[in-house]
Amino acid sequence: MSTIPNVLVRSEFEATDITEADTGDAARKLTLFERISDMNSVRKLSILVLVIVAWEIYTRLSGVSELILPKFSATAAALFQAVTSEQLLEMVWNSMTVLVTGYFIGLVIATLLTTAATMTRFGNDVLSTLTAMLNPLPAIALLPLALLWFGLGADAIIFTLLHSVIWPVALNALVGFMSVSETQRMVGKNYGLKGLVYVGKLLIPAAFPQILMGLKIGWAYAWRTLIAAELVFGGSISDTEDGASGGLGWFIFANQMDLQIASVFAGLFTVILVGVFVENVVFNAIENRTVRRWGMQAR
Amino acid sequence: MGDAGAMSTRSPKGKGSIPKLVIRPEFEISDIAQAQISEVARKLSLIERIWNINGVRKAVILLGLVAAWEGYTVGFDVEPLMLPSFSVSVTTLYNALFHGDLIYKVWFSVKVLLIGYSAGLLIAAILILWATANRFGSDFIAMATAMFNPLPAIALLPLAMLWFGLGTASLVFVIIHSVLWAVALSTHSGFENVSHTLRMIGRNHGLKGIRYVWKILVPAALPSILAGMKIGWAFAWRTLIGAELVFGAASGSGGLGWYIFESSQNIDTDGVFAGLFMVILFGIVVENVVFRNIELRTVNRWGMQR
Repeated sequence: MSTIPNVLVRSEFEATDITEADTGDAARKLTLFERISDMNSVRKLSILVLVIVAWEIYTRLSGVSELILPKFSATAAALFQAVTSEQLLEMVWNSMTVLVTGYFIGLVIATLLTTAATMTRFGNDVLSTLTAMLNPLPAIALLPLALLWFGLGADAIIFTLLHSVIWPVALNALVGFMSVSETQRMVGKNYGLKGLVYVGKLLIPAAFPQILMGLKIGWAYAWRTLIAAELVFGGSISDTEDGASGGLGWFIFANQMDLQIASVFAGLFTVILVGVFVENVVFNAIENRTVRRWGMQAR
Repeated sequence: MGDAGAMSTRSPKGKGSIPKLVIRPEFEISDIAQAQISEVARKLSLIERIWNINGVRKAVILLGLVAAWEGYTVGFDVEPLMLPSFSVSVTTLYNALFHGDLIYKVWFSVKVLLIGYSAGLLIAAILILWATANRFGSDFIAMATAMFNPLPAIALLPLAMLWFGLGTASLVFVIIHSVLWAVALSTHSGFENVSHTLRMIGRNHGLKGIRYVWKILVPAALPSILAGMKIGWAFAWRTLIGAELVFGAASGSGGLGWYIFESSQNIDTDGVFAGLFMVILFGIVVENVVFRNIELRTVNRWGMQR
């Protein structure tokens, strides 16, 4: 730790073959190919196509069993068929209804908890104790208890979703609130903001990047919990009138049980699509309208 | 948030209305005689001083919660199958730990978790090295993480069981999946945000290839790498418990998740609570001891994070 580093004196040298030096292209017109391959979307799309082609060729040539890895074309056909005739969209809708219900109730509870925590020291202590304890607990582990308390059905899943949303959101919001700069706080007090108005007009906008991060993590946990819960007990939330559907996780599980592996892949694609949609469309739109527009987040 | 007035004042080209100037009426406070300077400094009483210690307050809250739970279950005579009292749950935990086989189940889970986690980190490191080396790799990572990060790893479990059979291998596979993309995503974006000055310093020192990544990019992007590792850990832990809850017994002894599932199947609710306590304890140890120490020794010490 405390030794003084040796001073390193590099020996002088002279480059001899200076005539070989070459400026290279300082500026040149790019070829059409270079210009096309400079487009981000083109490159990414071609990677996607490449992967799909490799998959298709591999499954066709190696003769791997359809039960182990179905062809991409078979998967696409299964997806199409599931959408048109197996009510896949309805299952997605069922899953999303449960997810959104749980997510919003969770947000309301998290907001209440965090608001209470910002107003009193006691509330703050309660919330930080609770989050420290319950945040590391995977929500899915509560599912057996939830099934016992609420019975088989959407209620049990919503209970676990609540648990998976509340703690990350509350934790991040609280951390965000605490790191709001003292200057901004004092500006708020100067305007006479108090209580709920103070939280709504000052703390929430100032801590929004952090809150948004909590919302994203909460969504990711909730999405994972929902799929896991449905994989196991998904059939039970199909107890609606027609009793035909269940959720997306259940679609995957049921097809795996029937060894319809192409349909399992179709279900996975749907999960990916929904996830990509929520993360890249919904949350991006929120970011664009809030933190990026307010200049709180680079890029 | 949804505050239209504040938004229009803030946006440079407000869509239309100029905010009104509000002139507040002047007023004079009359009863100035009532004003008084309250205590400026005073010695705190012993109770106040004790109450000001963070740990004490939190311990009291914890005790209060436990007492409320115990009081509710005992006082209202709640059916122990629905909600066992705290003391019963703790006794069960104690018995399961020291007289039962819970400790082996925990060890089983931890072993699977560690194998999966380190394999996931290794693969993520290789992918990231490839991504820093050329643009194709970088595109591939961006594409793969965008696609696979939103896919819950547990959804792959049915496929994994088909490919690797019922057993530890499929658990490890899904854990790798849950760690890999979260770590790769945040490391990749962390590397991209390393400032140009630091990069040029590295080049100036003649660093190239792996040494450039290890000596410049990794330390500079460590806060986001650590964030990725924490998220990856959280996903892996959740995935493992979820997977074991469902398919845990497949691998012979089963893990912590299986213990919870088994107890709930036997309507042995205090066993469920004992399992949950164990999950919480382990989670707290990893998050507050392991990761906290890594942070203290690296990013906090280097002054990159408060």
